[in-house]
Amino acid sequence: MPLRPLLFAAAILAFFAAPQLLPEFYLFQICLIAGTALAVLGLVVVTGLAGQISLAQSAFVALGGYGASILAASWGVPLWAGIPVVAVVVAGLGFLLGQMTLRVAGHYLALATLAVTAIVQLALIHWEALTGGAAGMAVPPFEIMGRALTSGRELYYVIVPVTALFILTAQNLIASRFGRALTAIRQSETAAEAMGLDVLRYKAAAFAASAFLGAVAGGLLAPLSTYLDPAQYGITYAIYFLAIAVVGGMTSPTGAVIGSAVFVLLPNYLQAFQSYLGLVFALLLLGFIVLRPNGLSSLPWLRQAGALLHRTTGPKP
Amino acid sequence: MTEALLRIENVSVRFGGLVALDSVTLEVAPGSIQAVIGPNGAGKSTLLNVITGLYTASGGSILFRGERIDGRTPHAITRRGIARTFQNTELFGEMTALENVMISLDRFYAYGGVTAAWQGRHYRQIETSARDEARELLALVGLAGDENEAAATLPFGKQRRLEIARALATRPGLLLLDEPAAGLRAAEIDALNRILLDLRAQRQISILVIDHVMPLVMAISDRIAVLNFGRKIAEGTPDAVRRSPDVIAAYLGEKAAHAVGS
Amino acid sequence: MLAQVLVSSVTAGAVYALIALGFVLIHKGTGVVHFGYGDQVTFGAYLVLIAQMAVTGLPFWPAVFIALVVSALLGALIYGGFMWPLRNASLLAKIIASLALGTVLREFVRAFMGPNAWPFPFLLSQTAVPVGGVLVVPANLAIVGVSLGILAILFLLFEKTLFGKAIMAACDNRIGASLIGVRVSHVFLLIWVVASVLATVAGVLVAPLLTLSPDMGLIGIKGFTAAVLGGFNSLPGAVLGGILLGILEALVGTYISSALKDMISYGILIAVILIRPQGLLGGLLVKKV
Ligand SMILES: Nc1ncnc2c1ncn2[C@@H]1O[C@H](COP(=O)(O)OP(=O)(O)OP(=O)(O)O)[C@@H](O)[C@H]1O
Ligand SMILES: [Mg+2]
Repeated sequence: MPLRPLLFAAAILAFFAAPQLLPEFYLFQICLIAGTALAVLGLVVVTGLAGQISLAQSAFVALGGYGASILAASWGVPLWAGIPVVAVVVAGLGFLLGQMTLRVAGHYLALATLAVTAIVQLALIHWEALTGGAAGMAVPPFEIMGRALTSGRELYYVIVPVTALFILTAQNLIASRFGRALTAIRQSETAAEAMGLDVLRYKAAAFAASAFLGAVAGGLLAPLSTYLDPAQYGITYAIYFLAIAVVGGMTSPTGAVIGSAVFVLLPNYLQAFQSYLGLVFALLLLGFIVLRPNGLSSLPWLRQAGALLHRTTGPKP
Repeated sequence: MTEALLRIENVSVRFGGLVALDSVTLEVAPGSIQAVIGPNGAGKSTLLNVITGLYTASGGSILFRGERIDGRTPHAITRRGIARTFQNTELFGEMTALENVMISLDRFYAYGGVTAAWQGRHYRQIETSARDEARELLALVGLAGDENEAAATLPFGKQRRLEIARALATRPGLLLLDEPAAGLRAAEIDALNRILLDLRAQRQISILVIDHVMPLVMAISDRIAVLNFGRKIAEGTPDAVRRSPDVIAAYLGEKAAHAVGS
Repeated sequence: MLAQVLVSSVTAGAVYALIALGFVLIHKGTGVVHFGYGDQVTFGAYLVLIAQMAVTGLPFWPAVFIALVVSALLGALIYGGFMWPLRNASLLAKIIASLALGTVLREFVRAFMGPNAWPFPFLLSQTAVPVGGVLVVPANLAIVGVSLGILAILFLLFEKTLFGKAIMAACDNRIGASLIGVRVSHVFLLIWVVASVLATVAGVLVAPLLTLSPDMGLIGIKGFTAAVLGGFNSLPGAVLGGILLGILEALVGTYISSALKDMISYGILIAVILIRPQGLLGGLLVKKV
């Protein structure tokens, strides 16, 4: 079974080769794909696996971006330290939000999480002293060891490994008893409870994980975009993440990457149709949920490739 | 007399104006097979649901091994040793038969998040033992060979047995079965009876079984209680219950009761 | 002052109520919560403009008529093209599909009618008439009247007629309904058509009050809040919830802070969902196993 180490070596080679071979534009796009995929990974956990619809991902991403930037701008905490701190706090918020699932499920949960996104966005607009209000705020540069990472070419070395780490971790956790429990909860909460699973705790943990991943993604995307505009973090953004998750494949971490790649790269090929972009994305979401609800990662050839990989990682059957 | 394993005392359950259980009292003795029968809508499933904490009682108390369990969450009740199946099977449809059973077992083969993320040798050892026990349980209910089938694609009779295996995997002291024989063929019912008797003999599991059909329950139960419109109308040995005019009336209507009685 | 605030707030409340009625109609009738309904309201108003662009010189009323017909077809398309194929899909898939439908309508409008606001004519006079010391605007009054009228019609239909009972039967128990000869798919189709027409009626009434832009559909959340507040299955609850929300918002906006106004309604949404998910006039259900 030398396939896995081989692939690993190839991935590492590709990782170091890319910045040498690709122009800034593509490296920037790779960073954007990785950061978006990280936010979508949160949705994969909470909505895809645990079956709890969340329209709050936009809020978590916003809190991560704003939180880390405010810490850096007002208190001089460098982003590399601020992002994890903020992410842990936001994860706590996610856990609290998850407690809500004790009483609420299905469309009520969709509504409640929608309201959370709306409230956070309004707070960003109205808390001017801290957030710069409707005008937005500039993001301090990502400084590490006295060096400011400003371009996509430089941030690449932070965003891509972090995303890869979380994707691989998520994949392993999904294969373990934790992923099993969430999958069971998605299929029947009643039965999962009756089999002795503390369903509420699992659901709250899934929300916490999605909040954490969303906040890290927000923190990493902030220096990439260099400016935070509260108008961006609305309901449309939440649906954007959902669309990516559906198109990529709701239950698959690699699906998050595939979906993000589609949504980030597609605009490049639709240069002439910029004003139709939103419509194209919306139609993609609608088409996939009706015709292929399991997304691109469920395509037969992709699944086979995935199975091939997994046979070498998972415990022997 | 030994203390009851499960004791239900004056338990009532209401849905709006509807009284689904009306001050029902019932005991399950350790090591016994207790049956509850009754016509459609009598409140049998409601009884299981209130024992397992899915419904809240509006009155009364439920004791398991001498401790109050009413008001606790369903998973806490399961962890104390009460397992159940569902009338309309509630399997994890997209998961394999093996995974269905492992859901209940995972609690006994615990490991932390870091172990799971790293997936080293320790992790593989624990997972392998969990898998082995799940396989044994599947074999016990006659599902050896179906481990990797998705639960939803199994034939109906096998789904029923998978529910039992999954319930057993919680390592219960008391097993609650909601109409396990409904829709099964005669041969399958015989096999089911044998499994239940073996469970009691070899694993010291007490059983509370709900059924519609008298003959099945009759063959294996020690005592039968009869529910009708949320009330317990009779209880006793299978023979006594079969002869009770109230029971005949409940099932066949007043006229038949008179006909049999006269 | 307070009286004037209350009278004016009733208009906003009636707008919410009108949208809430559509939500409740679809939910009560077909069991789906339609997250794209707010966008359908916006789309309905745009349809009038589009009709007038397509046929130069078309007067307002015929354009409204065309919009109503087109939205009826849209309703049929939504049911036949999406909700029927998804009838056995998970709740999650249904929720996402309805969100997607709304997004498609919103982005369609943005792509073809541009992102900016359009002027939209009032149906009735905007000049305020003093009635008993407070100013009342006929155009606003019309919205209140229409909401109450639609409530009355739907209420009678659902609660008093055999047809309404057939609808409820179809929703509660599909197999049972088909046994007694109710064609579930026909009933659902009809509901989607009626609700879509209702959305356009709401759009035409509301567009002049709010700004008609692609994002007007966000008003849908207010409609949701109203529906949740009243109890998602109760038609009178929808109207009550709408009016209450309108008044609450006006009071907060006037006496506390207008910036807080929207946050309050989202806060209410979360609070009601958590504290009394069945709403003011709804009944609580326990999942049957
Ligand atoms: N979650 C619930 N909400 C409302 N009513 C309920 C609920 N669960 C049960 N009921 C009602 O309580 C009564 C008893 O139902 P239950 O399911 O316990 O009957 P049963 O004896 O199991 O019948 P069956 O033989 O059909 O399974 C019925 O009238 C039923 O409609
Ligand atoms: Mg039953």
